[in-house]
Amino acid sequence: MKKTLFLIILAFSLMTSAQKSRNLGNVTVTASRPMKEIGVQKTSFDSTQLKESIAQSMADILAFNSSVYVKSYGRAALSTVAFRGTSPSHTQVTWNGMRINNPMLGMTDFSTIPAFFVDRASLLHGSSSVNEAGGGLGGLVRLGTAPDMPEGFGAQYVQGIGSFRTFDEFARFTYCNDRWASSTRVVYSSSPNDFKYVNHDKKLNIYDDEHNIIGQYFPTERNRSGAYKDLHLLQEVYYNNQRGDRLGFNAWFINSNRELPMLTTDYADDTDFDNRQHERTFRGVVSWDHSRSSWKTALRGGYVNTLVKYDYSRQVAPGAPMAAMTRSRSRIHTLYGQAEGEFTPSRKWYFTMGLAAHQHFVKSIDRKVADANGGDGLVGYDKARIELSGSASVKWQPVERMGLSLVLRQEMFGDKWSPLIPAFFIDGVISRSGNITAKASVTKNHRFPTLNDLYFMPGGNPDLRDEDGFTYDAGLSFDVGKSDRFSLGGSVTWFDSRIDDWIIWLPTTKGFFSPRNVKRVHAYGIETKLNLGVQPFKGWFLDINGSYSWTPSVNDGDRISAADMSVGKQLPYVPRHSAAVTGRIGWKSWAFLYKWCFYSERFTQSSNENSISGHLPAYFMNNVTLEKGLRFKPLDLSLKFAVNNLFNEQYLSVLSRPMPGINFEFFIAVTPRF
Amino acid sequence: MKSRSALFVIPVLLAASASCMKWDYGEPEDFTAHGEGLFIVCEGNFQYGNSSLSYYDPQTRTVINDAFYRANGYKLGDVAQSMTCYDGRGWIVVNNSHVIFAIDPVTFRETGRITGFTSPRYIHFISPEKAYVTQLWDNRIFIVNPSTYQITGYITVPDMTMEQGSTEQMVQWGDYVYCCCWSYQKRILRIDTRTDRIDAQFETGVQPVSLSLDRFGKLWILTDGGYDGNPAGYESASLYKVDAATLEVERQFQFRRSDTPSELQLNGTRDTLYWLNNDVWRMDVRSTRPPVRPFLKERDTRFYGLTVDPVRGDVYVADAIDYQQQGMIYRFTSDAAPVDSFYVGVTPGAFCWN
Repeated sequence: MKKTLFLIILAFSLMTSAQKSRNLGNVTVTASRPMKEIGVQKTSFDSTQLKESIAQSMADILAFNSSVYVKSYGRAALSTVAFRGTSPSHTQVTWNGMRINNPMLGMTDFSTIPAFFVDRASLLHGSSSVNEAGGGLGGLVRLGTAPDMPEGFGAQYVQGIGSFRTFDEFARFTYCNDRWASSTRVVYSSSPNDFKYVNHDKKLNIYDDEHNIIGQYFPTERNRSGAYKDLHLLQEVYYNNQRGDRLGFNAWFINSNRELPMLTTDYADDTDFDNRQHERTFRGVVSWDHSRSSWKTALRGGYVNTLVKYDYSRQVAPGAPMAAMTRSRSRIHTLYGQAEGEFTPSRKWYFTMGLAAHQHFVKSIDRKVADANGGDGLVGYDKARIELSGSASVKWQPVERMGLSLVLRQEMFGDKWSPLIPAFFIDGVISRSGNITAKASVTKNHRFPTLNDLYFMPGGNPDLRDEDGFTYDAGLSFDVGKSDRFSLGGSVTWFDSRIDDWIIWLPTTKGFFSPRNVKRVHAYGIETKLNLGVQPFKGWFLDINGSYSWTPSVNDGDRISAADMSVGKQLPYVPRHSAAVTGRIGWKSWAFLYKWCFYSERFTQSSNENSISGHLPAYFMNNVTLEKGLRFKPLDLSLKFAVNNLFNEQYLSVLSRPMPGINFEFFIAVTPRF
Repeated sequence: MKSRSALFVIPVLLAASASCMKWDYGEPEDFTAHGEGLFIVCEGNFQYGNSSLSYYDPQTRTVINDAFYRANGYKLGDVAQSMTCYDGRGWIVVNNSHVIFAIDPVTFRETGRITGFTSPRYIHFISPEKAYVTQLWDNRIFIVNPSTYQITGYITVPDMTMEQGSTEQMVQWGDYVYCCCWSYQKRILRIDTRTDRIDAQFETGVQPVSLSLDRFGKLWILTDGGYDGNPAGYESASLYKVDAATLEVERQFQFRRSDTPSELQLNGTRDTLYWLNNDVWRMDVRSTRPPVRPFLKERDTRFYGLTVDPVRGDVYVADAIDYQQQGMIYRFTSDAAPVDSFYVGVTPGAFCWN
């Protein structure tokens, strides 16, 4: 039944193509392809998609606008992104060119990236990530800011008030003239986040006078220990000398104070415990872009400073102060430098070279205990690692309808060199009518273990092998349209990846976890996208973006023992099917947005048991937004009402992590006119 | 125009009709488990909340998996650590759910629960009205009244902070309970059960993790030796024999540095020791030399739990496989002949004989 519904939803997108007409807006239909993107499988997000849900994080934007798998540990809690049946640590993430994956964990928490701070975002699927970085065995998320802003002074203030006493405040101040541009953005979000939900994982007892259980029921509980206060500041300054040089400065400061929500299976009194993560991160990038008619160079330098404090404490007696049980401190300093060059000697040839360096200094202290001599001893590690990544590429378009691209990349992490990472891309226009283009790519990628994988205390395994991935994909895309009437584009891509020496953390008999290379994984499947823009009548517009992925990702290794039932089974927490559809209808100053996403059943065990804890049922999520713009002489006003989880679905993204039911938020945006 | 309207209406209807996630919570089942049986506590994965309880009847060789959930209609919780059967009830300590469930061992139905713990590990009964519960990240052993399901007091461990707190397995000899302090510790406590006070303690090697008391009044203590970089020390694991009366160390068997012994167990007559060290090992408690060959050789297995049938002497060893799927229990006779094998829940780590 689920599959049938799925196909109907997909068919819906196709069906609409027969009734089209639309305002093209930001969709460009053209037969020419940028040489830089020959054969590249990319999903781009336009500014509408990024700004339509101002209070949402990039995790939500990606969940509703692409078919990558977003695994969320709760509202305002860790959210990770995985491509094509791989793990979150196989997703590389860059911000203004700088890799921002946590060097300790390898992954990125997308719940801490406000969509309000991102002007440009795109996904590079599979081999296409090699154009930007190595190690993206699943793909790469490219985030960035843009210097494009209106001339003169500009300001915007948005206040959001939502369910669970959620307050979101956004402000942006810009100034731009022909040479200088400056933007300051602030986001502050806070909420006790104590949404109600029916806890199906436990029952409360009803007792008689002799303490016999005479009844039980699933309690309606509140999300416990889920409060958050997040502050983000982003300052950008750009200088353009109008002769092809642009200097940029971007600084992003995060101060996040979040409680870690209790599990649904926890019987503790939340007032007895304080379980909290406090993160302060500064990311700064300076850049110089130098452009001439046939060549470009870019230099970037950056610095990241992250302090993550994790505190777990409890009150041992009424009125007593909290006593620390765990005090974990992680300090990361990262120095970043990058040089890139592009050269276009003719219309047929395009060369690039790049070298990026990330120097990490990590000090991770898990806790303080008495050492063997009775003094203070620290449990943790203090390590530095240089990560170099160099690449060269040549792109050739022998005829207008065909392009070839070869990328060679090599990386060095610490004192270990990766093998050469080659990636080959080809594309060609099969038919000018419909702009039907075929694309294919193949790569052999390589990923180094993270610093925690190697050195975490206790459990780090310095003997880990690197992960190797081989992937290829092939697909077709099309774009058709009629100016000011409609545009329709779509693509379908087959991909196939094999990853060896997959790193996974497993328990040990000593009571801690330790990473091992255990699996050979075969991930394959299909990705489809469809975008439709129609302008049916004057003043109306309709946008529909849909995506769907079928991603079998199976353990292709040898059986550990005769009892091992995991071989040939889908990896835990990788849905076979994921889909998202976003529809936007606009009429004059009104806009109605419907967002829908779907994840199929996810298994939590490698053997794909269909038991109560062995799987998470499929779920659909529906969000709607209604927006009205008002224009006054001194300012523009925008009123927006958003409903999340429209059908009040009780669902789980991760086992034992409660998710909110239907919730609302009202926004008022004020944009003064200068 | 009609078709355009449909364009807007269809997705809404589809979404509405397809918006319900299917939950599989069923009605509690009725069970009647007769005779002596073996409970297998499967700890599951940390923070997954997927612990489970299995029940095995050695006579009929039948197994009931997910017994707690199926009998009660809700989950056992996160990281079920241990289980103790006492006075006609089974007491399951669910570490990261901060709860101890009491169940009827025949129906598997809950009869009560004790909450308010920091990070409970093991429960040891002194009487029907008093039991001790050890903790991680707490410098106190909790005293509970099992008949009222209340915490009634604490035994504070001297020279131990909350942050480095760890009290673990317990055994009783007369009026004294001995408790090993494991994580970042290296000592054994002696608690006088008449006063609920620690009246003696002695030092062992680094991180004593497992504790048994043989029929001759000797404590057997297994240390895991810590790990490289452990501020409390890193050394080879050891097996200690200590006189419970005098607290004198009578013997120490040292393992190789790479060894990771665990799960010290005794047979029903309490004269034969068993433990895991990749393989399963066995030693007479009167032996003066450690065994040179394992009792059972591992065969691509990851042994994680061990018990010995107190009546038949059969040895049960739990294989966690990859820690992410149903584990396997292998049953052998005391002569190491295979008898049976059966799947249980994820990461089977502890046993309890009813």
